[in-house]
Amino acid sequence: MSVELSPQTKKKIDELLVHYPKKEAALLPVLHLVQQEFGAITREEEQLVAALLNVKPIRVREVVTFYTMLRQERQGRYLLQVCSNLTCTLAGSERLIDYLKRRLGVGVGETTPDNRFTLSTVECLGACDQAPCMMVNLDYHTGLTEEKIEKILEGLK
Amino acid sequence: MEEKVLTRHFGLENFYKIEVYLKQGGYQAVKKALLEMKPEDVLAEVKKANLRGRGGAGFPAGVKWGFVPQKVQKPRYLCVNADEGEPGTFKDRYIMAHIPHQLLEGIIISSYAVGIHSAYIYIRGEYEAIAQRLEQAIAEASVKGFLGQNILKSGFDLDLAVHRGAGAYICGEETALLESLEGKRGHPRLKPPFPASVGLFQSPTVINNVETIVNIPVIIAQGADWFVQKGLPKDGGTRIFGVSGAVKKPGIYELPMGASLKEIIYKYAGGLPEGRTLKAVIPGGMSAPVLTAEEIDIKMDFESLVAANSMLGSAAVIVIDDRTSMLQVLKTITKFYSHESCGQCTPCRIGTSWIHKIVTRIAEGKGEKDDLETILRLASNIKGKTLCPLGDAAAMPILSLTQKFSKELAAELPN
Amino acid sequence: MAKILIDGKPLEVTDGLTIMKAADSAGIIIPRFCYHPAFVPEGSCRMCLVEIEGLPKLELACSTVVRDGMKISTGSENVVEARRGVLEFLLAEHPLDCPICDKAGECTLQDYYEGYGRYKGVFQEFKEKREKKLVLGKSLALDRERCILCTRCVRFLTEVTKTQELGVFKRGVRSEIGPYEKEPVDNNYSGNLVEICPVGAITDLDFRFKTRPWFLNTGESICPLCSRGCNIYIDYLPGFARQEETKKVLRIRSRENLRVNGYWICDLGRYGYSRLDQNRWEEPAMYQAGKRIGINWDKALIVLAEKIKGLVIRARTARIAVLAQTYLTNEELFLLRRLFRDDLRVERILFVDPPQGTGDELLLTADRSPNRRGAQEIGFDLNLPTLEAATQGTELLLVFGSFLHDRFDLAGVKTALEKVATKFLFTPRVRDHNALFDFVLPTAMTAEKSGSLTNFEGKVQKFGPALELRGESLPEWRFLVNLGKELRTNYRYYNQFVSPKEIFREMVKEIPFFEQDR
Repeated sequence: MSVELSPQTKKKIDELLVHYPKKEAALLPVLHLVQQEFGAITREEEQLVAALLNVKPIRVREVVTFYTMLRQERQGRYLLQVCSNLTCTLAGSERLIDYLKRRLGVGVGETTPDNRFTLSTVECLGACDQAPCMMVNLDYHTGLTEEKIEKILEGLK
Repeated sequence: MEEKVLTRHFGLENFYKIEVYLKQGGYQAVKKALLEMKPEDVLAEVKKANLRGRGGAGFPAGVKWGFVPQKVQKPRYLCVNADEGEPGTFKDRYIMAHIPHQLLEGIIISSYAVGIHSAYIYIRGEYEAIAQRLEQAIAEASVKGFLGQNILKSGFDLDLAVHRGAGAYICGEETALLESLEGKRGHPRLKPPFPASVGLFQSPTVINNVETIVNIPVIIAQGADWFVQKGLPKDGGTRIFGVSGAVKKPGIYELPMGASLKEIIYKYAGGLPEGRTLKAVIPGGMSAPVLTAEEIDIKMDFESLVAANSMLGSAAVIVIDDRTSMLQVLKTITKFYSHESCGQCTPCRIGTSWIHKIVTRIAEGKGEKDDLETILRLASNIKGKTLCPLGDAAAMPILSLTQKFSKELAAELPN
Repeated sequence: MAKILIDGKPLEVTDGLTIMKAADSAGIIIPRFCYHPAFVPEGSCRMCLVEIEGLPKLELACSTVVRDGMKISTGSENVVEARRGVLEFLLAEHPLDCPICDKAGECTLQDYYEGYGRYKGVFQEFKEKREKKLVLGKSLALDRERCILCTRCVRFLTEVTKTQELGVFKRGVRSEIGPYEKEPVDNNYSGNLVEICPVGAITDLDFRFKTRPWFLNTGESICPLCSRGCNIYIDYLPGFARQEETKKVLRIRSRENLRVNGYWICDLGRYGYSRLDQNRWEEPAMYQAGKRIGINWDKALIVLAEKIKGLVIRARTARIAVLAQTYLTNEELFLLRRLFRDDLRVERILFVDPPQGTGDELLLTADRSPNRRGAQEIGFDLNLPTLEAATQGTELLLVFGSFLHDRFDLAGVKTALEKVATKFLFTPRVRDHNALFDFVLPTAMTAEKSGSLTNFEGKVQKFGPALELRGESLPEWRFLVNLGKELRTNYRYYNQFVSPKEIFREMVKEIPFFEQDR
């Protein structure tokens, strides 16, 4: 079973390929676009990207497994990525992670049964002046408290 | 209050839009460089300005540009390092969010100086919103003829693209950045050869940090002498210091090169919250060796910090108060480096994880009496022996922390 | 040229060489895991760090180019410390597998620990647990716990075979090497991975648990399975008294020869060693009325000599035909020419070689015998004859080799041979067509002979026996010399040939091509 790209994604890829002398250099931007469309880079997406950029699928998998933001398995609708680096830890992010564990009933790396939330920890997000921080999918949420987290979760249907 | 150079218009609404930027005199430096100066003259001016790299290594930008061979028949590339992964650092995010057009100006002028016609901004994948803002700015600039073919009818062409990373601290290291930009795993390369001769796609390449590049239009507009005067004789310009941790006003503060660390913490960032005292300061991003509370009477410039056995790095000041367990700090630090090690070379791949395992075991109450000695020895076997600076970046904080806070750490171990 | 000092020893080195290459050429061993002369230096194992006077940090020998005046130390305190450090790191995450690991006895990690380690281990954390027997292809197993991530295997498949079956996945200490899904490492050079793996991460299932390297003897030989002439090592068990093990070849390894095969051999040559031990014809025999009777060489020699003399007297040597093949050495082919073509005026010296295969871009040639070029230079026509041409009007047929059955069907061979009055077969192998002959005499295989072979590029390679002769077998050259002496027409000439060396000397006089000083 193979997958096909939407015309919008195809167009975006064609536009960005223009900037690279070799197609394979665009692997990371292409993987981002493909992951946004399909949720993850599973075997099917690997084959698709490999054929598109003229590289062997093994090279695609090498890259996908190297980078934290690229995933081989689909996650919940909202991937909660709480920063566990130094400043955020000093600002109490561990407490917030524990709170989320209790609140969602999952451990780190796990997804809620309704597939709504996946809880994960990440390294420094570059927003240390507003610690503690987390990303939800690609959005930043900073200055977190338990109350603020509640509000954020409510808004994520 | 010293005159702000880079952050002058950070408060101005919509300054990231080209219309507002142009109204404030934006793109004048590009016009001056491309239409009134020769590339060699631009290069000479930047050299004269003694602009040192703002990413962490502090290598003089003009000197680096000078290493690019002009006679080689290969395309040349510019990569702007917007990977900003050094924990504690967030200045580039602010720069790109507030003054994206100044970054583009810097890219255009730098490319012109070195004879580069293809440039990339390698931005960390997490900064998606910023990447979109940059792409918007590029679109605006292209429409106005500041990018693309025959810019301002000067005959100079430049193609610029935003290239997203995908979550790997190591890709902030310049050769790992190149590997990533070529569509591969972020494995640093052996140096020599240096990117100036063999870089992106095996061609001569210049890699500079975001903050370094946004200083270029300033140097061209105001002149090198003015720029040097804003900082120190061998270290021109201002520096955007990031302050985070146990301070009342975390954030970015633009100050002259050589500003006082004590002032940064107490005068600008408001000092520590009520009831807390200073315990330690990391002066230049997590990789910089830690300073104790007694050691903060120091000027924030490259030389002074090296003399204090630390480093200016990314000028990211992390303030640690007395309520913090240094064991926890050590655990967080070692977790980071073992997670971010690319895995290529033996000492970093295994050493960072081994040390983290030891620290975790100590934190679980199962420390052994030789553990600190082992940690110091392992870190010394990483330092200076790895393929890329990440090994040093890991070893230095581990060594400084373990040495300077040995009493506190030893208290966790059996006698 | 650059004048340098390594450990106080002055060396003059060509410009552009790395410290590693300079040291190797001077016999100074710098330990290494990831470096291999066939690949671009990787610089990731950090084992080859050396101290250079005037430089603050230790530098890699594998990638640092020598400069005139460089003073290098490969054994200073700093270097010793750094090496120990690397070993300590590697062994920290390495499983204690030596008792069950095939690599023990030829393992770089073991050897280097003996040489540069010998410290008290302090690692007491939990080691990363990984897959221990991932089957990679027809004969390979990967143990991820033993892997030290030198990436030689990945680079071999990228730089040499260009087939890219293996990659490095994940990051940091969780990094692991592996194939794409279950796709096998399916090329003709996969066996080389076992050799280049410095530790027991990639092992050969063909060799698994069979023996320990220190029980093996090693002989040097040339692989005869194609016309490249790759240099090989043959590892064999010499056999023990009072044990069932008999002499047995257990493994073939590549032998470095930068002129011929570089660092590698193909899987065809590597795994074809069972032919050395199995189905060997080891005793001279004759067939009478369908029954096999044992004889000895002397008797066979006398019978043959008489037959030949009889045909000579009646001026009927045209009734003799020789079927040869190009596994024969240069010396043996030269004797055939001398004895049969020149002395006996036999016109029909025909060649039945194994059928051609497909060559690849690396080592394997389409020709599947080692000495076609040699036979050409000695002056033979190598076109495949018809059975008719060989047997029509033939009273005495000598067949050297065993490929009749590969080029003609058995029934056809039987019919053709029935027309021939006396048929001799000289072969090392037990095959169906053996029983069709009157005399079947055991010969040696290439690994058991000495002599020389000419590869398809015209390179002449001399070699000696790696293995002992089996049973009563003889190398063909010795029999031909004996036959030459027995025929008495040119006794003094053949009597000088006590070994292939003398034959080669004679050959060079008559055929200048073999005068190769390269």
